[in-house]
Amino acid sequence: MTRDHALIDELLAVRALDGLDDDDAALLARELAAHGDCDECRRLETEHAEVAGALPLALEPRPVDPGMVDRIVAEPQRVAGTAGATAGTSDELAERRDARLRRWQTAFGVAAAIALILAFVLATRPDVSVPSTLVRFEGESGEVAMAYTPGESGVFVWGNDLPDPGEGNVYELWMFEGGEPISGGCLSPTDGSVAAFVDADLSSAQQMAVTVESADCPDAPTTDPVFTAELS
Amino acid sequence: MRSAEPAGALDEELLLRVEGGDDRAFRELFARYAAVAHALAFRLVRQAQVAEEIVQEAFLAVWRNPERYDRTRGSVRAWLLGTVHHRAVDAVRREQAQRRRAEQAASLGPTVEDDPVDDVLAAIDLPRDRRLVRRALTELPVEQRDVIRAMYFDGLSQSQIAERTGLPLGTVKSRTLLGMRRLRASLEGLER
Repeated sequence: MTRDHALIDELLAVRALDGLDDDDAALLARELAAHGDCDECRRLETEHAEVAGALPLALEPRPVDPGMVDRIVAEPQRVAGTAGATAGTSDELAERRDARLRRWQTAFGVAAAIALILAFVLATRPDVSVPSTLVRFEGESGEVAMAYTPGESGVFVWGNDLPDPGEGNVYELWMFEGGEPISGGCLSPTDGSVAAFVDADLSSAQQMAVTVESADCPDAPTTDPVFTAELS
Repeated sequence: MRSAEPAGALDEELLLRVEGGDDRAFRELFARYAAVAHALAFRLVRQAQVAEEIVQEAFLAVWRNPERYDRTRGSVRAWLLGTVHHRAVDAVRREQAQRRRAEQAASLGPTVEDDPVDDVLAAIDLPRDRRLVRRALTELPVEQRDVIRAMYFDGLSQSQIAERTGLPLGTVKSRTLLGMRRLRASLEGLER
């Protein structure tokens, strides 16, 4: 059966220019997930990305501080920083990345949700890496976990077997920095499951929590946590 | 656009060497794209210091994690400049003064003095790629060009453009798609 790519094509075009609103980003995520491993989706994504990547060439180049490159290379490399490390081919690099993704997909019970959200975010945000750290939340009913890379922005959050938060309510994620709660956004489970990417930096957070809140997603928690996690 | 062209192949080669810790390769990649990345960031955020920080952060991410590049999703240039664009747009949307700046930028008439789509006729002596991209932008129907310029070069979202122009959101999206398709056809000769 041939799938219709008209909607995906349109949304990918807007996304390539970073113009997508959140609701259409979510719609695109669902559409891409429905298409699964789709060559046509990948082709459209790549083509739009290439066009967008060419647009800055129209601008008059603007020299940077000559010392910038020295400052950058003075920083340690995170992955391959040892001298003489074997780089490998591009195919090998892609395979390493895919292998990491597969390990994540098979490592946990809610593999489908993880696979969906990881695949989508990695497809849409080339600056986001496969996370290195997993944190499971403590709670009385259901399970919540998150994955992130320390020092980098971006947190994958998912939940399974979650109780219905009640009519007009949602789950809200909190990061505690020095005892101060900072909202990580609201999550609405479907059939007890939820998967989301939160564009947050946990560098300064010591604890995490999830509360049940009204759908207007308040700036401070109004109820006791139903899930908590300590960050080491 | 052609694939596996020398420029793209060189970029990939440089990135592989960067993964091996080769700072000379990184410096070469930096020399190839830093000024364009800086122009892009500055065009969006309009603040020199913020633009430099964005470029530095983006290239630092490349230096630290070059393995994040996935050739199946496009060229090194698209990946690198896409990263800069993401960061710059994030900065614009976080900025408290975003509304005022966006209003200035989104008049959807001629904007800044070096607007890439305004002066293709004066661009005869420009490097080939810049001339080609400027010409492709200039040749777009004006309604498509305005939407793409507002979205990419001014950092406005689809709904912001719809709000400011009075166009239905669906029209903004369809014009974006048509413009992107037309650009793709016009940029066939551009090396990846």
